[in-house]
Amino acid sequence: MYRFIISLFLLFVFGNGFAQETEMQKKELEQDSIIYKTTYGLRLGIDISKPIKVIFDDSYNSGLEIVADYRISKRFFIATELGFEEQTSNEYYSNSSAKGNYIRLGFNYNAYENWLDMNNEIFVGYRYGFSMFEQTLNSFVPNISNIYFPANTITPKTITNLNAHWSELMVGLKVETLKNIFIGFSVSYKVLMSAKEPYNFKTLFAPGFNRIFESRTGFGFNYTISYTIPFAKK
Amino acid sequence: MNNMKRAIGLFCLLVFMFLSCEKDDFCTQNPVTPNLILRFYDDTNRESLKVVDNLYVWAEGKDSLFINASLDSLFIPLNSAATETVYNFSKNNIVNQFTIQYTTENEYVSRSCGFKVIFNDVNFVSNNTWITDFEPSTLNIEKQTEAHVQIYH
Repeated sequence: MYRFIISLFLLFVFGNGFAQETEMQKKELEQDSIIYKTTYGLRLGIDISKPIKVIFDDSYNSGLEIVADYRISKRFFIATELGFEEQTSNEYYSNSSAKGNYIRLGFNYNAYENWLDMNNEIFVGYRYGFSMFEQTLNSFVPNISNIYFPANTITPKTITNLNAHWSELMVGLKVETLKNIFIGFSVSYKVLMSAKEPYNFKTLFAPGFNRIFESRTGFGFNYTISYTIPFAKK
Repeated sequence: MNNMKRAIGLFCLLVFMFLSCEKDDFCTQNPVTPNLILRFYDDTNRESLKVVDNLYVWAEGKDSLFINASLDSLFIPLNSAATETVYNFSKNNIVNQFTIQYTTENEYVSRSCGFKVIFNDVNFVSNNTWITDFEPSTLNIEKQTEAHVQIYH
């Protein structure tokens, strides 16, 4: 928790840092009479961190996320992510896996003042997230804290039709590396609003939310490659 | 682009901080599954505790849990994989067999603590050699804050 608070402070430091810069750039822009147009359109991409995580993380069984955003004004974007995830939670006394689909919907606000016709972003965003999934309790050993009588390992049980709703705040950046091709990176902090819990067990992982901590919060990140289908230049 | 580089650096820092937040919960409940608590009372004066000397305790077919102990209360585990546990309490080489019968139920506690076992419909049977009488104080063993059975001798 302390770690999280400290990292929140860092966010503010970073905000201050470029607030000063924008003032400087404004002055420069005022002297310049040419108006640079930027592209408006639908940006589609995928999160490439998830396939990589599948290779390196044994407990992450599969994952795919498609991201999209649509620019509605100079600074605002409607943004969404759709995905599928399957993850195994291997704890000391239980082993369970969750798999299902999710959607996140919200907006991004680009706080970065671009030079000339550059099209980069440092954004903050809000998302509402919803996922539908099933959870299988693969096995568990009752916590009997003695070795005098060994405990039985209990066999699998699947609970379907679980769901979770959450809110998330995200910060990230997108850099136009080639014409209309963006590389993006973002981190998010999630707060669970409600979850349908299985009887006599708990949802330990929700697709799209990630690991659910005891405080009903979670963290996520993604690394995206996306392409803008240009509709207009304004 | 210098600013961009600085921002990228900060993001990497943030990510590593978030990723280092794994396994932050540890089970602090001890024990999670309750032990059976017995207290020994004087048979003639049933209000007062009476220490059992030269006490040996073992479950049928197992090693001893207590050897030559002097105790007025006993914490012993129950077998969660069966529906009864047979204990032998030996005092001055006289063995008293004490059987605990129950049904088990697994109850989820938390991610770090896992599941605990609750013992329901508890029934005690004693062949009363040195133990003269006993009195159960509960039907379910869910926690170990107080004695579950009082033994008179």
